[in-house]
Amino acid sequence: MKLKLILSAAVLCLATMPFAQDSLAVKPEAKPADVVMANPADSAFSKVYVSIEGGEMYPFGDLQDAVENAFYGGVGLRYSYWDDFDGFVHFNYAYVKVRAEGIPFPGVHQFVGRLGLDWHWKQLRPLAVGAGFTCNWTRADSDDDVDYYSGRGGMLLDNETEFGWFARVNMPFLYFKDFTAGLNVLWEELWTLPERSNMLTVGFYIERRVW
Amino acid sequence: MKFSSLLTTLSVASLAVFANAAIDPEMEGMEPVSRDDGTFLIGGPTYYFDRILGAGGLHSESELWTPAKVNNRLLFNRMSVLPSWDPMEPSVWVKTGNELGDMIYQDVITEYDRPSNRTPILEGGFRTPSFKGFWATARGFQDDHYSSRTSNYRHKMVSDEFAIFGENYPMFSSIYGGLGFTNDFVNAYALAGEEYLWEYAESSRWIPVHMKPRVQGHVDFWNLALNVAYEHAEYQDVRVKESGERDEVNGSVLYSCGAECQKGIFQISAGMAFRFVSDEGDVYTGLDNDRVLWPFMQLRVQPLRWLRADVMFGMNDSDWLVQDSIEMGSPFPVKGMGVTVGVKNISGTRLNPLADDVEYFTMKGVSDDIDLAPDGQMNLVQAYLAFADTVASVSLGGRATFWAEHGAETFDVDGFVEDGDFEFRYGDVARINSWIKGITGELWIDAWLEDMFKFRALAGFERIDGPMERFEVSPAEYFVAFTGDWLIRKSFRVSHSLRFRSDAQWNLRGHDPLVVKGDWYWDATFEQQFPRLGLYLTGTLIHVLADEVVQVPNGDYDRIRFVCTVKKTF
Repeated sequence: MKLKLILSAAVLCLATMPFAQDSLAVKPEAKPADVVMANPADSAFSKVYVSIEGGEMYPFGDLQDAVENAFYGGVGLRYSYWDDFDGFVHFNYAYVKVRAEGIPFPGVHQFVGRLGLDWHWKQLRPLAVGAGFTCNWTRADSDDDVDYYSGRGGMLLDNETEFGWFARVNMPFLYFKDFTAGLNVLWEELWTLPERSNMLTVGFYIERRVW
Repeated sequence: MKFSSLLTTLSVASLAVFANAAIDPEMEGMEPVSRDDGTFLIGGPTYYFDRILGAGGLHSESELWTPAKVNNRLLFNRMSVLPSWDPMEPSVWVKTGNELGDMIYQDVITEYDRPSNRTPILEGGFRTPSFKGFWATARGFQDDHYSSRTSNYRHKMVSDEFAIFGENYPMFSSIYGGLGFTNDFVNAYALAGEEYLWEYAESSRWIPVHMKPRVQGHVDFWNLALNVAYEHAEYQDVRVKESGERDEVNGSVLYSCGAECQKGIFQISAGMAFRFVSDEGDVYTGLDNDRVLWPFMQLRVQPLRWLRADVMFGMNDSDWLVQDSIEMGSPFPVKGMGVTVGVKNISGTRLNPLADDVEYFTMKGVSDDIDLAPDGQMNLVQAYLAFADTVASVSLGGRATFWAEHGAETFDVDGFVEDGDFEFRYGDVARINSWIKGITGELWIDAWLEDMFKFRALAGFERIDGPMERFEVSPAEYFVAFTGDWLIRKSFRVSHSLRFRSDAQWNLRGHDPLVVKGDWYWDATFEQQFPRLGLYLTGTLIHVLADEVVQVPNGDYDRIRFVCTVKKTF
């Protein structure tokens, strides 16, 4: 298992190489602005979009024994990063009902923040594929004064946070003036224990270009 | 490459071949977490054992006082960058992260073998741009990692949550704010704040220290630097109804060799570090005469461009410490190639003459004054040969050293006390009055393709001959590390570090030695950069692959962490 992980790390090290283009100025913030004029990121934020999104979250694997499918709603910000890449930030909320028996609360409040990049590969346009990191914050829907106990569900009585990663496909399908409607399909893995938690999220969004 | 710069490069390499600055530390001062060119064992943010393989001797680097550390914090007997009160550059930033492994929804389906709670890291701060030279700054930061294993034990010692924020009993929690003034001639600032710390003592206890207030002032003028801090520290152990206070003033004044001075053959710097303390009630350490004054001088002599000698000498009424080296390059430079030979020496009565002299240990009927300042002196001599050769886009370097140390610091254990799940020791810091000898070898290869990427592979080994059972830590015998850094399209940074370190062992902090098994570690930093906007979005994974183990007796588990930072520079 460990060998597999080491090989995965090595492959990931090499996988980023084809994108490498220029010097390793590790801390370019020390440079004056005129020195970085030719930076591909100069086009960052030349386009900015805001969006609202709603959809459903589907737990996978053993997580299906834990919670039910859940509707979610949220807001997003997308911005041009390079000519063929966009950056995006998402925040959404879901009330996730507990499926497991014997838990002293009916559901969990879930807030999710995501930060990632979309790649507009010209062979796939208008689809974009993206990936990034996710942060999941949860708290049980409970009025109980006890903020912790050692049984199942006990830790959720206090705030719980976990990070993870995701990959997604962004499928815009309707354009009207500054508005775009589309579908996001997102696969997400939280780095939880004792098992990783996998979820599929499918949501529709309406996006408006700000500039 | 100019020969003098090559000499400098090799000199730096001889101190630390493993320049792994590309991986962002989870917090300023925790860079050793991502190093493995030696033995780096992390007990928490306020304590780690950091011994560089090629540095020689048995001590850890942070135990040794040097003039470069005058502005570091003194945590028990270590000079520590963390928790740093050095103001950041003008910017605003937020940082958060977590030890990976919270259960979230796994919580409701996990009946047995439930993982313990994972704890976060939090930081936020700003420093304004200069307005006619004036600026303001504030910073709140705490690291809750490495806290859960011992928090049930530690929280019984204190009367409240012992943190600025939350209930995880973090190893440190600090907040400060202040004003500064900077122009071409003067840099000055004054800061005030509050701090909670758990200091790791010689007995293996975690000692809670609450500083309220802590005030620090700093002035740089011409070639002079003055740094002064006042700390009102409160100590407590509510289990035995103990409480005490320490008022302390510490700091340094330093004259540095300026630009004109550095053109000369003799380059002299000098300064004095100081501490004044006043104790009341139950405190857990003591400083002889309630004060220490530590005058020191640095001298560099460079009669020829390929020959250089450095010496640092400090002395007061109870201690002295000398660190010197002579380094020589080839008189006949060859393009792209450099060879350096050198010898260095460290001699002194204490590694850190500013540290307290005694730890007061009372537990379960045992009462002992642990002497932290052993009699006699230590002598460490080291000879080394380093070379580097660059052909096209490949550079090969290596270094071999031989070292011998007499009077190395150790701990003579009188006994152990078990309390709860933990074990503590008492006795005295002592010396190994025989010669310990070591040889080391390191080899590294750098490769780069034009300016597109940078790769480094390095490996090292060390063989030590001496009474291993008296070593505080038996260091790792070998390591191998690979780093790769990319800056994709000048604005997306990806840095990797993949490393393996062999076994290390703590010999003296428990009835049974604690073996820290060798393991692989992978760290990675991903950063979206917006240089024109001064905006940086950074995510860092730390210690992926590695097993979750305790690396320091009575320390906490070293877990995989993820830390993200948003920073906007002005």
